[in-house]
Amino acid sequence: MESAADKTCLEARGIWKVFGSKSDQAVELSRDGASRKEVLEATGCTVGVKDVSMAVTRGETFVVMGLSGSGKSTLVRCLARLTDPTAGSVFLDGEDLTAMDEAALRQVRRQKLSMVFQHFGLFPHRTVIDNAAYGLEIQKMAKAERHERASAVLAEVGLEGYEHHYPGQLSGGMQQRVGLARALTVDPEILFFDEPFSALDPLIRRDMQDQLLDLQHTLQRTIVFITHDFAEAIKLGDRIAIMKDGVFDQVGTASQLITSPATDYVREFTEDVPKIKVLTAGDVMQTQTTSGTRSVPASATVESLLPLLLEGDDPIGVSDADGRTVGVVDRNAVTQILASAR
Amino acid sequence: MTAASPPVGTVGLRSEVRRWLPLAGLVVGALALQLLFSGDDAFPARWDSTFESPIDDAGDWLRSNRSTHPVFTAFFSPLSRGIDAIITGISDFLLWVPWFVVIAAAAAIPARVRMYRAAITVAVALAYTGVIGLWTETMQTLGLMSAAVLLAVVIGLPLGILAALKPGFETILRPFLDIMQTVPAFVYFLPLFMLFGIGNVPGAVATLIYALPPVVRLTTLGIRTVPPQAVEASQMYGARRRQTLTKVQLPMAIPSIITGLSQTIMLALGVVVLATLVGASGLGSPVLQSLNQRRTGRGIAAGLAIMAVAMVLDRIWRSAAERDPLKRHPRNVTLVGLGILAVGALLGRVVGAGSFPEVFDWTLFDPVDDVVTWIRDNLRWLTRPLSDSIVTWLYLPARDLLTDTLAWPVVVFVGAWACWRMKGWGLALFTASSLVLVGLFGLWELSIDTLVQVLLASAMALALALPIGIWAGRRPRIEAALGPILDGLQTVPSLVYIIPAVIFFTVGVVPGIMATVLYAMVPGVRITALGIREVATESLEASRTFGATPRQTLLGVRIPLAAPTIMAGVNQVIMMSLAMVIISGLVGGGGLGFETVVVLKRSRFGLGFEVAVALVALAMILDRFTEAAADRLQPHRDTGL
Ligand SMILES: Nc1ncnc2c1ncn2[C@@H]1O[C@H](COP(=O)(O)OP(=O)(O)OP(=O)(O)O)[C@@H](O)[C@H]1O
Ligand SMILES: [Mg+2]
Repeated sequence: MESAADKTCLEARGIWKVFGSKSDQAVELSRDGASRKEVLEATGCTVGVKDVSMAVTRGETFVVMGLSGSGKSTLVRCLARLTDPTAGSVFLDGEDLTAMDEAALRQVRRQKLSMVFQHFGLFPHRTVIDNAAYGLEIQKMAKAERHERASAVLAEVGLEGYEHHYPGQLSGGMQQRVGLARALTVDPEILFFDEPFSALDPLIRRDMQDQLLDLQHTLQRTIVFITHDFAEAIKLGDRIAIMKDGVFDQVGTASQLITSPATDYVREFTEDVPKIKVLTAGDVMQTQTTSGTRSVPASATVESLLPLLLEGDDPIGVSDADGRTVGVVDRNAVTQILASAR
Repeated sequence: MTAASPPVGTVGLRSEVRRWLPLAGLVVGALALQLLFSGDDAFPARWDSTFESPIDDAGDWLRSNRSTHPVFTAFFSPLSRGIDAIITGISDFLLWVPWFVVIAAAAAIPARVRMYRAAITVAVALAYTGVIGLWTETMQTLGLMSAAVLLAVVIGLPLGILAALKPGFETILRPFLDIMQTVPAFVYFLPLFMLFGIGNVPGAVATLIYALPPVVRLTTLGIRTVPPQAVEASQMYGARRRQTLTKVQLPMAIPSIITGLSQTIMLALGVVVLATLVGASGLGSPVLQSLNQRRTGRGIAAGLAIMAVAMVLDRIWRSAAERDPLKRHPRNVTLVGLGILAVGALLGRVVGAGSFPEVFDWTLFDPVDDVVTWIRDNLRWLTRPLSDSIVTWLYLPARDLLTDTLAWPVVVFVGAWACWRMKGWGLALFTASSLVLVGLFGLWELSIDTLVQVLLASAMALALALPIGIWAGRRPRIEAALGPILDGLQTVPSLVYIIPAVIFFTVGVVPGIMATVLYAMVPGVRITALGIREVATESLEASRTFGATPRQTLLGVRIPLAAPTIMAGVNQVIMMSLAMVIISGLVGGGGLGFETVVVLKRSRFGLGFEVAVALVALAMILDRFTEAAADRLQPHRDTGL
């Protein structure tokens, strides 16, 4: 069996980011329990990220969700080392990113990292294909080859035929597809997304989310995804961290957050969520190994159980990925979920 | 005031005293100095020439060593030859290429991005210079200017990039750029003329110095304003600093850099025309010639040619600034066009076409002279008394007050006092010491003379510009109509303004002042109108809801809110006045300007150095003072609601 450490792709240990000149003093004050506001008043420093630790498994989509100013961008910038954290370290495949010099960091970025930005961060003076091929151009790949790779990725994100347009000629959704293509062309190990869809219309946002899910299904990359939209977090995230004032309030799967919110703050977000669409048979079952006549996989949503429960009175068996029965769901359990939804 | 403050009476008294103390200090100090020094009527002459003769000696040394000393043989002479080679290379090439190919090529640049109106303008404007017989001069001016601008780019671009990437470097660079832009370009001719001798080179270098700051500034600005996300995106793909710079930052800064260049080019044109005074060839010489011969018609012909060049350059740059790739013709069209031009050039040479054929020459405009003479003679009733009263009622009294009536220490003291009140000790000290230095140079009276002319002309220009600007700023349609005219006038080199002034006011101080008023008025009107127009409509509507009359709104809201902008306009008016007053030394304007002309004509190095220092000092004082005044009018954020 693989150990947890092997499967961990990206790990952050005790990340701090403080803006301002007296950062050491600010860290100390904050450690002693001073609030962000108190630290700001005492030292003039803003605590952007406060002692955050996290571990992202290979192939996992890890979502950081929080409101504006909670420190999400600062955190992801520390992870990608676009800024240096005030304290703490970031490990990528066991290598300490924070200790690397410019050249080593550059090498890691070329081989392993990519990022998609909220305002796209495209290069307006380059055509779509030259935008998409930028990472390869930096690696000095020959033009024909990099264009070939880039057009394949562009086709994948649905931009076939737009290769020689300029970003300014495209709609917002298409521009972000270019951003996505640019990130994918270098075949990265980890993708950072900093609120990539926030600037888009709701409908286009949904399209993009679906597309990302599709892509992730085949690509299986490690993703760190930032958002301020809880619905988006649930839709995309294998695990979700709720961030507030620079710290993680809670980290867990969508079901965990909904069924057992750690703080009132987390609860507030979960309240409006349509639970039957999020919770699964596995979440609501009673553990029991004897099977009934009917059976569903543990990953089936509660919503999908409703017709089955209406058909008959008897409990429905729940089976795990290997087909073994692990529990049962009955009308009673589902009614409780529905009742707590309001 | 808190509750713990002393009784009201004492507070009132104390603050009153504090308020009047500086003014009392001024009066007492001035009176005391006046009594002490009233014996001497001007700056004591016995201190003169302490500086001049050593510098003259140095000048003599320069002159006799120019062909032998290593500083020259190893540095200045090769540099000079190199620059000269670039200039003559460009202008010879432009003259070698058949004229119709030059015109077609120039027009093709806007046409390439489908700006056909601009293409026609360019063609017509260039053709005009040929028809009027000034083709050669025009190409020479283009050559001189292209060389200067090219050098400005070659030097300015790296400086701008460095300043953008290293904030520390920018802090060091900025004061130099400020000074370079504050000092009138004419002043640069003096030292450059000593180093490079007569010809195209000092003119090109002066142009370069003057044109450098906008290139540097806008390059820095352009790189700084590249969205940080684009830079970070580049970093995320593992780009090196240089890769990010060349692939992302510089290309994205190009629009800003092009704006900088178009400013540069317009500034350069004015200086290049002036460079005739240090022996440069080009369109300046016909202007100067017609000025000397008082041939208005020819002056107009040459002036129009300069405006045509300005127009051509402006259109060409604007089309170069057009970054929309969709508007561009496809590459093969461009290649075919280039091919046609090249073939045309060769064929044209084969049949011997080169310079523009002689169609007419500038004597075409000679009939204008008769009209002008007629107008002048019939306007005597107006111009004479106007001229006389300016001299007898304004200029002479002001000059005599400052040089005769008041002892020099009083002038220094009052000047320093005003600077202290406006800006602080730094400027006061600078003003006092530089005024004393100017006195020690023996240039006291000349400098005061120049200062009086500058202030007088500025006051007159403002008296005209402010009402017009306020009037136009409230009427968008009028401003829209006025805009192109003012734009046009701003591209006319200062030298051209002198021609009509000389015609109507003959020689002496008045034509210079009149030319200055005309020249300096333009930015005054523009900036005032801008300030008035840009007052937020909300403030105006707020005022109107309280039932204010238009007059009350204008005086109570519009003008106060526009005051900082208008004051920036005042600064420009004064700086342009200084530049122009110096140039009007050419038509007997007196003061430091006349001295400059003398220096350039007679190669008096010591004097040249002193005059340059005096002018730089005057420019800095006037600029910093008016800038501080504009800052003061800026509403303070912390006292706002
Ligand atoms: N360069 C900086 N200098 C000073 N303070 C900063 C800087 N960048 C961010 N901050 C501060 O750090 C805090 C967190 O900012 P951050 O941008 O990480 O928030 P965010 O969660 O990404 O918000 P948003 O959803 O608006 O993007 C904010 O209070 C912000 O003002
Ligand atoms: Mg953010």
